[in-house]
This record gives sequence, structure tokens and C-alpha cells, in this order.
Amino acid sequence: MALSGQPREYRQRTDVTGTFDLALLVFLLLLVQPSSSTAQSIFGKNFDEFVNDNIKFSGFTENTTGLAISHGSHFFDTSNPFDMNRFTIQPEFNIKFRDDLTSFISWRFVKEPRYSMESKSRKQSVQPAANGTPLVPTYYDEYSPVPWEAILDYKPNDQLTVMWGRQFISWGEADGIRLLDLINSQDSTFSPPVAPNLFNLDETRIPSWMLRTLYTVEPETNTIFEFFALPGALEKPKERVDEFMGTNDTSDRTVKYGRWSAHPETRIAFGRLFTNPLSAAAVVVPITDRELPGSANSWKFGTRILHNFGNLNAGLGYIWGYNPQASDMVFKLAGAPSLCGPPACPPGATQLPLKLVNDRTSIYAAHFNYPITEILTLPVNTTVRGEMAFFPNKPYNISDYPGRNCQTGAPTGLIAGPSCQHASQVIEKNTLRYILGFDRTTFIPFLHPDDPWRAFNLTFQLYQSIIFDHEDGIRVFSGAERINRFTTALTFRVATGYLGDTILPDIFALYDPEGYYAVNPAITYAPPWNERIRLSLIAAIYGGRNKFKSTGLFAEKDSLFLKLRYQF
Amino acid sequence: MFFLKIMLGAAVLFFIPAQSPGADSDLKPGDIIGPQNWQHVQGMVGENLLYRIKQGYSFKIKQGRSIGPPKDYVLATKHYSEQVGLSTNGELLNYVAGQPFAEVNLKDPLAAQKLIWNFYWRWIGDDYKTGGGTGEGKIIRYAIEKDGSERRADVLHHTIKTRGRVSLGSRPILQGYEHIDWMQLRADEYPRDTAGTTTLEIRYGDPKREDDLYVYVPSIRRVRRAPPIQRCATIAPSEFNFDDINTFNAKISNFNYRFLGKFKMLGNLSQERIPFQRKTGDYLPLNESWEIVDSYAIEITPKDPSYCYPRKVIYFDSQNYEVLWSMVWDANGTYWKEQFALRTPVKLADGQEVLSVGSVVINNVQNGRSTVVDAVRTYNQGYQPTLFTLATLQTVMRGGSLR
Repeated sequence: MALSGQPREYRQRTDVTGTFDLALLVFLLLLVQPSSSTAQSIFGKNFDEFVNDNIKFSGFTENTTGLAISHGSHFFDTSNPFDMNRFTIQPEFNIKFRDDLTSFISWRFVKEPRYSMESKSRKQSVQPAANGTPLVPTYYDEYSPVPWEAILDYKPNDQLTVMWGRQFISWGEADGIRLLDLINSQDSTFSPPVAPNLFNLDETRIPSWMLRTLYTVEPETNTIFEFFALPGALEKPKERVDEFMGTNDTSDRTVKYGRWSAHPETRIAFGRLFTNPLSAAAVVVPITDRELPGSANSWKFGTRILHNFGNLNAGLGYIWGYNPQASDMVFKLAGAPSLCGPPACPPGATQLPLKLVNDRTSIYAAHFNYPITEILTLPVNTTVRGEMAFFPNKPYNISDYPGRNCQTGAPTGLIAGPSCQHASQVIEKNTLRYILGFDRTTFIPFLHPDDPWRAFNLTFQLYQSIIFDHEDGIRVFSGAERINRFTTALTFRVATGYLGDTILPDIFALYDPEGYYAVNPAITYAPPWNERIRLSLIAAIYGGRNKFKSTGLFAEKDSLFLKLRYQF
Repeated sequence: MFFLKIMLGAAVLFFIPAQSPGADSDLKPGDIIGPQNWQHVQGMVGENLLYRIKQGYSFKIKQGRSIGPPKDYVLATKHYSEQVGLSTNGELLNYVAGQPFAEVNLKDPLAAQKLIWNFYWRWIGDDYKTGGGTGEGKIIRYAIEKDGSERRADVLHHTIKTRGRVSLGSRPILQGYEHIDWMQLRADEYPRDTAGTTTLEIRYGDPKREDDLYVYVPSIRRVRRAPPIQRCATIAPSEFNFDDINTFNAKISNFNYRFLGKFKMLGNLSQERIPFQRKTGDYLPLNESWEIVDSYAIEITPKDPSYCYPRKVIYFDSQNYEVLWSMVWDANGTYWKEQFALRTPVKLADGQEVLSVGSVVINNVQNGRSTVVDAVRTYNQGYQPTLFTLATLQTVMRGGSLR
């Protein structure tokens, strides 16, 4: 697979707006500086009182260090397995202008060094084979003066809340799996996948400028109507949909992707999935481009209604706009195949333009939760929750298995080839995804000798994706692994606290019955003498029956992280 | 600590709740209590505090001051209490507002039930902000480890009564909320990692309907629903659980009650300083005087044998039904937790003086950890019920910004 992408130049850009934002940050920081009781600012006593009473400053600084621990890793088997040192500072301000008007503003500044691991092991590319160049040193950095979040919260009356600004919205209650969390896009470039204990949603979602309103129709039944509108044009193009790691086999010999990109082993004769060669030379060179949503057509709208039916809390929602999830993208043909030769291609090769696109679609959402205390007098003490997303006519790439010549029917010898039936190589199918979750609070006194009533919070989830009217040959966009009618994943999470919550273990595990798994254990030390400090040891471990699908893609990327956070 | 446990265990067998009726006979304002004369307050304080007195803690006895409930509540009691009754299973019938039972005959076999309902519907305002009366306008909580290490947390806490209202707007019932007793919002504000974590709690009047408990988790930006058993879980790192809030915040119908008698206990209904002075790493109030308070004692045992507290005894003052002491024993009958709550007078908007909780201390004598909470309330804030909905949770921002 060859993906092209734009460098993150926007993260280093400082324009006029950015200068203003930076000035705002400096101004706010100056305002909240402690001053002596006698000193008065040039703004006067009333202003000082307003600042003291209505502006609250908080935030955190954090350093995350990661070491690759995979045995025999092709990626990390270097003299230096150092694969992350992410330093973050995030100042945050809560401002209360009036009782009905508040604001929250935060900035995020990130610095990561250049990694020897990436420099040494990422200099390979295929089709054509040559040496590339490593990532730019500032690839992971973030120092945009534009606020990370900037929300103005206005409550004109008791029933209506209007929130405008750069913010997050996340529907549903799923843990570690993304189902209804489809409004904001995700930055998957710096964080390992399926590792909620390392970077949570708060840190990996990209906030979007939007308007959000909530109207409480009937407070006694929690009947709430929600609406949001997201213009998209205010985001940088790459932020309108997920940022992700592609592979590094780029034809322009520039390594654009970092530590969580797919394996070199996943490189297949990718172009041959879309077309057969036009000549005797059995090489198809894909020329790929990612088509990002344009500023004029990236609007997203959504609405939802919530209601309590007795003990049952339920919601129905609808979203229109781009499905931001990287895993749901498809490659579309951007032109007809043609012959090409050196230096761009091997002699006699065929080239094929492809574009990688996100689908602009309707998404129908539903969710519920219901507490069950007992069943047939047996104590259950579990909250059952469910959420569902229905994607009508969701596009998938499709191929024929095994590969064959569409004219002659002769096998090509490859595991897969272009679909002879679907010339566009894309097929649309109604798709339903759902999660059933069970949250249980359990007490295991012998495991908590110092506090028998410190709960173990257990969460079990069943995730399933169903493709209606499924056809054989539907596959992941990035390779030859097929997607079955049913895709299932089971997750389990257990968390508790020891010694007055100074030791906090938390384990998240995912199992895909097709033979893949991910484990993300973490243990955090919160010292009893300072509530501001947290030190966490976290592992992200992946595996599976192969390296071409699901969490198997990251099978050689097991890493161990040490995270130190100081909150201010 | 082992020695302390042994001592306290022995106290369970031989002392609690057999307070000597004459324990206070020699006490008078101005007396200094300390290790030299701890016998004077034996049975008037919890065993853990008595142990600390023996170890050196000393304080002065002061003259008590009577502050009763406000006139609206007294009027409502006069107006409605005669119609109130108890069902055969102890449920409250025909309650509207005020104190359910104006007079309780302590020899009545149903005295415990009547007293606990009086406690449940005691005057606490039509709504209140716990911590609103502290200097910082929020609850300040310190979790203290056995070795004296401390961690601070700041919490916002809003409560609205939807029934039994006597002062504000729609009363005695908020229309549409006949089925709900009260609702609470509790938002962590500090430290930052937990800031914005917000709990919405709804108590239903139906004795068979469990509470609703929703938690907004800022790190995943989602509202999760907690199962009812969560009420029993320790709100770590504190030693409280949800049912310990306001000393006894559980659903009345889930427990059995036994009246243990009327006792003179030591309390502090006019806390001098908020927060009280203390040594860093210790929970004992310094330079605070204590007073003798007429109190009722109720033993509380759960109907569900798997409930976290097999036995709890609370002592509340006989005038305001505000709890002074709470003691908990574990399933082995070993002394487990001891809580004392200091009270302080606060003024309503019309100038009436009423009692509010001041600082609360809970000790887990088994693991040595303690929690100190400064929680002075501001009453009758005029909250609207729309504040206590999932919409509020959906809009909580980092930093726990709540109206």
C-alpha cells in the first residue's frame, strides 16, 4: 500500500490568528498569577476580583517514554528500542463571565524527539525498492497557538444550553471501542491502537469547531433534545477525518509515517488487488492519494433525543457527514490503468491511480442503559448497556479470491485480484454495528484486605459488525484480508484501587475470535503525599494469527511505557 | 494500630452502646477533658476518639446553644404531621412536608421507625450547596493516610429536594416530581485528572425503586450508568461511600431500625473555625470546644445481608435530627469506621439562623486512614430541576464547571 500525505505543516504554522491566540494565552496566564494582598493590577480592583473569583487555571504536564519490547521485531530490532518520548503541556482555563455564560479554553503543546528506531528502520520502500528519508524531526510536535479546546457555554434559560467552539462530542458508552463516537476525528499518529490506558479519548480525539445545543424538554424524565452542526471548514483538511499511520512504502521515497504504521510484511502486490497488468510485466504500481474532505462540503449535522422509560434510559440519534474512521475508508479508482516505465516504474509496469476516501453518509444511532439488580432473586448488580450504529450503503473494497484474469479466467497465482464483477472495485452494503456492554461493580474482600468495599469495576463488551447481503471478497481497504459477514470482538476491563487508591491497576483486553488480541495493562502510582502526581507503567501488547488484519497489524509493536504526569 | 483494634474490639463487646447514663454528670462548661479525666466522656464520644483522648487529645467543654429548624419547617410540621402514619412494613404514609412525626413517644415500639423518618425528612433546606459556605465555596476534602500523608480534593455538591419543600417556589412538591425525593449533583473539581467527573443521583419515593446513579467521565467524554451496588463502594481515596454522605444517605426502606435510647453525647453545634485547626496529617480538631447534646441513638441493620455495613449506629441531636456520631462494625463484629460531624450556624436569606454541617471526620480504624471534609452548606439557592438532568452531565467541562 502506498499512501501519500501532507506533512504536518499546519502544526507549526503561526499566522495572525495564531499570534492573537498566543497573546490570549499569555494574557490569561498573567491574569491568574498570584499577587500580593496589597498589590493591585493596572486594571483596577474590580477587575482583580473578577479574575480571582471567576477564572480558574489548571492543566497538566506529562512525559511519556516508550520502549519497544517485541522479540524479533523487524521494526524495533535496532540497538535503540526507544520509540516514544512525548512531552506535553496543557494549560486550561475555566472562565465564568456570568452565571449563564462560562468558557473553557485549553492549549496543547507537544514535543517529541527524532527516533533512532524510526530513522534506521524506516528507510525502506517498495515499488520501487529504494531508500527513503526518515520522518521530519517535528512530525509529532504540536505547538499551534490555536486553542485545543475553546468552548463558550451559554444557558439562556434553564432548559436550553448552547455550546459554541472547539469541542468534543461523544455519544454512547462504549469502552475502548469506537462505535457512536463518530463526531470528532481521531489522531492515531502518536498513540498506539486499542490502548485506552495509555492515551484516552480526551487526548486522542481532535476537537472540532461546532455549535452544540441541548434542550431539556422534560427534566423529570430526562427528555433531552440535542443538535449539533459542525462546519468542518474551520478545521485543517487532515483534521476533518482521522489522522492515521499508513505504511512507508511510498513511491516518492519519503517516509511519512511513524511508529504505529503497518508492518512492511503487510506489503503485498497491492496494485494487483485493483487491476491486472496491461503487459507481460506482472507489476502494477499504485499511485495513491488521500482525498480529504473539502472545506465547502465537510459539514456535519447530528441530532439526538434522550428519554427515560422508567429505569431504562435510551437515546435515538442521526448523524450526517463524513464517517471519520480510518478503518472505514475505501480506495476508489481515480482513473484507468496505463503503462509506465523507468524511472517511475519498472520496465513494462502498469500504473493505476487510486484515491483513498472517507464516506459521506447518514449514520443512524441508538443506545440504551438499564440497571439490573437481581434476576430471579439472584443478585446481578450490573448495568446493561447497548449501542448501535447503522450505516446504509456503506462502501467496501472488494476483490476476487483467488486472483484471476477477468478476460480469460486464468488464475494469476495471487491470493486475490481485481473484482471482475464490480469494475469500480467498490461495493456498497448496509452495515449494522452494535455493542452490548455489561458494567458490574464487584467486591472481592480477600483481594482488598485493607478495604473490602473498594470495588472492582468490571466491564465486558460484545462488539459485532454485520454486513447485510454480504458478498464474498469484501476486504479491508489496505490489503487482501477479507471481512466476513460478522466481525466480532470481545473486550474485558477490570480496574480497582489499592492502599487508598495510591496503587491503581487497570487492565483492558480485546479478543477477536478470528484469532487476534490486544492487551493493555496499566498500573498507576498516585503518591499519598501529593494529589498532583501520577506515575504509570503501561504496556500495549498485540498479536494474532497473522500480521495483516485487526490487531495483528501491530504484532511486532509491543511496547512498554512510563508516564509521569504533574497536574497544576 | 493492632493494639488499637484489640481495644476497640473489646469496646464493642463490653461498651457500645451501653453508655453510662451518668457519664456526663460532672461535666460543665469550661471543663478541660484530656487523658487525665477521659472517664468523664466515656460513652459520649466514639471509641476511637476516646482512645485519642487517652493518648493526649484534650479539649474544652462549652455551653451549648439552641438553634432549631426555621419557622417554615415548623409550620409545615404543625400543618401536616398529624396526617402522617406508618405502614405495616414501616413505610411513611401521607407525608407532605415538615417533620413527619411532631412528637415521638420513645416507648412506642415504632419509635425507631418514626425517628429515622424524622431524620430522613429533617430540615435541610429546599435545596443546598454543600461546601457553599466554606471560604472557597466548595467542599474541601483531605484523605489522610496512616502515616500522615495527605491528599486534597475539591468537590462541588448541589442537592434539590423535590418533595417536602417548605420555602421556595413550587412547594411542597415540584410539579412532575411527585415520585422523586431528591436529586444530587456532585462534581470533582480538583485534582485535574478527576476534574469534571460528575455524578447525578436520583432518589425515588417508591421504596422498591433503586436510586439512579449516572457518572460523567471526562476522560472518555461519556455518561456511564452505575449499578445500585455502587452506593456501597468506597469513594476512594476517601473512607466514605455514597450512603455515608450526610452520614446516612441510604434508602430508608432497605434497612431495619432499633431505638437504642436517648443519650447525652458530645458534639459541636457551633464550630468555631471552618476549616478547624489541626496538625498536618491528623484529623483531630484543635482549639474547638465540645458541648453536651441530647441525642437519639438508632441501630441500623440492612435487610440485604450482603450490604456493606452489617451494623451501624447513628446518634443525632433530638432537636434538629442532625447526626453527631456514626459508628460502623464489620461482619465479624469488629469496630470499623467512626464518623463525627461538627455543625455550624449559618444564616438564611431572611436572617434566620439554622444549623449546617461544618466539618466531618471519618476514621477507618482498621486500615488507619481518615478523611476530613469541610462542607458548610448554603441553603435555598433556588435551583431548578433542569440542573439535575443528564443534559447537565453532557455539558460538564474539564475543571468541573457547573452552574
